[in-house]
Amino acid sequence: MPITFMQQFHFVVLPYLVMLIFFLGTIFRYRKAPYTYSSLSSQFLENERHFWGLVPFHYGIVTVLAGHVVAFLLPRQILAWNSQPLRLYILEITALVAGLLAIVGLVGSIVRRLTFSKVRTVTNTFDWIVLSLLLFQLLSGVYVAVFHPWGSAWFSAAISPYLWSLVRFNPDLNYIAMLPIGVKVHIIMAYVIIGIAPFTRLVHILVVPNPYLWRRPQVVRWYRAPKEVA
Amino acid sequence: MASYPVTVTLAVRMPWLNRTGLVIVVFAITNMRKETEHLAHSKQGLRAGDDKTPRSSWLAISLVLFMVPVCMDAQDAAKFFEENCTACHTIGEGPLSGPDLKGVTQRKDRDWLIRFLRNPEAVINSGDPYAQKILQAAGGIVMPDFPEMTPALASALLDFLEAESKRSAPEPIPPQTPIPAPESSSPEPPAAVVEISDRPFTPQDVEQGKELFGGTRPLANGGPACFSCHGMRSFGGLGGGRLAPDLTRVYERKRGRKSLAAWLSAPPTTEMRSLFDSRPLEQEEIVFLVAYFEDAAKRGGEAESAVILGFFFLGLGGAIVALISLDAIWKRRLGAARESLLRAASLEGKS
Repeated sequence: MPITFMQQFHFVVLPYLVMLIFFLGTIFRYRKAPYTYSSLSSQFLENERHFWGLVPFHYGIVTVLAGHVVAFLLPRQILAWNSQPLRLYILEITALVAGLLAIVGLVGSIVRRLTFSKVRTVTNTFDWIVLSLLLFQLLSGVYVAVFHPWGSAWFSAAISPYLWSLVRFNPDLNYIAMLPIGVKVHIIMAYVIIGIAPFTRLVHILVVPNPYLWRRPQVVRWYRAPKEVA
Repeated sequence: MASYPVTVTLAVRMPWLNRTGLVIVVFAITNMRKETEHLAHSKQGLRAGDDKTPRSSWLAISLVLFMVPVCMDAQDAAKFFEENCTACHTIGEGPLSGPDLKGVTQRKDRDWLIRFLRNPEAVINSGDPYAQKILQAAGGIVMPDFPEMTPALASALLDFLEAESKRSAPEPIPPQTPIPAPESSSPEPPAAVVEISDRPFTPQDVEQGKELFGGTRPLANGGPACFSCHGMRSFGGLGGGRLAPDLTRVYERKRGRKSLAAWLSAPPTTEMRSLFDSRPLEQEEIVFLVAYFEDAAKRGGEAESAVILGFFFLGLGGAIVALISLDAIWKRRLGAARESLLRAASLEGKS
């Protein structure tokens, strides 16, 4: 099957383009506007619904992303793991659970930002774009997982070699040319999200305060003026 | 003053463009006169808004991207032949599992050959006598269907075969020469076909095939297990992959063991080629797999489609359990920070 121009654009030009934008954009923003380099917290404005957006979303998305990265880096090990159907099913169900958790969390976040006027005020256009793209990406991911199983197996067998061919600057589209449209849309949207990431709150992925995980607890004391107590 | 259009044309043929040419035309027209005027006015200190100020010079750049489909040429045909046909065919070196293609364009007319190339099975099923004859000579192996076989490619292939036939033999084979039977002159047919032709499959073969299918026994050359993309009735609780066709009845679809073995030794589809060209199946593996597919076809049926729902509901159930767990783990999430504040507030009220 000859590879079409659109395939060349979506699966060769686009990934290189977005990686260039990603690297230059993140560096540029860090140098020009370092104080915007985070994800603006709205926990202070509304704290109860916040939990149901933030927690399921992040546990879900981190698991799912880690799965994609592992299948990219260690495809053989994933295929070896999958050699027993039961193990494959455990892996796939775990991934699906994580994907669904991420959807619950993201929908929770979107509803929260729409309902609470204080939170809506601090939500800018780029935030809405990011939320919509992520929702689309999560829905298409779950669609692919359910209707084109088993993703962990064919990702390792076909997508991983394709991605490595990009890394080696010798793109080979034969691996993905015949994939179903749902999978292709998912791949293209992933590139789009990487491309806009430097200009959105997604940069917080690069500046996760990991030491929080092991630093000692900090005691916060409130200072109140005596007149307030009286 | 005359304007000076500047046209820059760049034609880039990128090496990774396979059968498409990409031509980028950059059209840049600069109006030199206005540029000059603008500079002159700037020197006089004229500001924007003054009606005498000329519009700033403009530069029109239009990028025109368009595809130029490159015609099928001899090189493409040669490449296609090398990649897809040589497992079963030679040009002048005797038949393998398929006939020797030397002088094939003189044995049969072009229209017929193109029709056959585009859909071998349809021509065979139509009861065409010549197709039956070559089918018999090939030991019942049906030539695989190539999804990418366009009339242009078929025609280019025939041109290639004609040219190659002339090169390898100055005197072409007379039209009436029948195709030699495989046994007569063939040095040796492909091993899989030989090994698989006679002996009946044993239950051990079927069992080994099943292990290869599921991946318990890895493929020797590192190819992914069939199960990754293919389903099979009653294999695994939630079924096999659904990216590629269900293989429960592949034995019938590919018309029996010989055709299936030939298909597996040189898979003709893009998907299979991308995965197995560099990591082909071993002859022994093909035997086991064919044994397993034959056994599956005997058992019959199709893969169940309800497993999709089963998988989804397992995921959904898992997600609900996870949400309940998260709620339980952070039961005191609102208390920790607020408790002291609330206590302080209530104390304030009392005092």
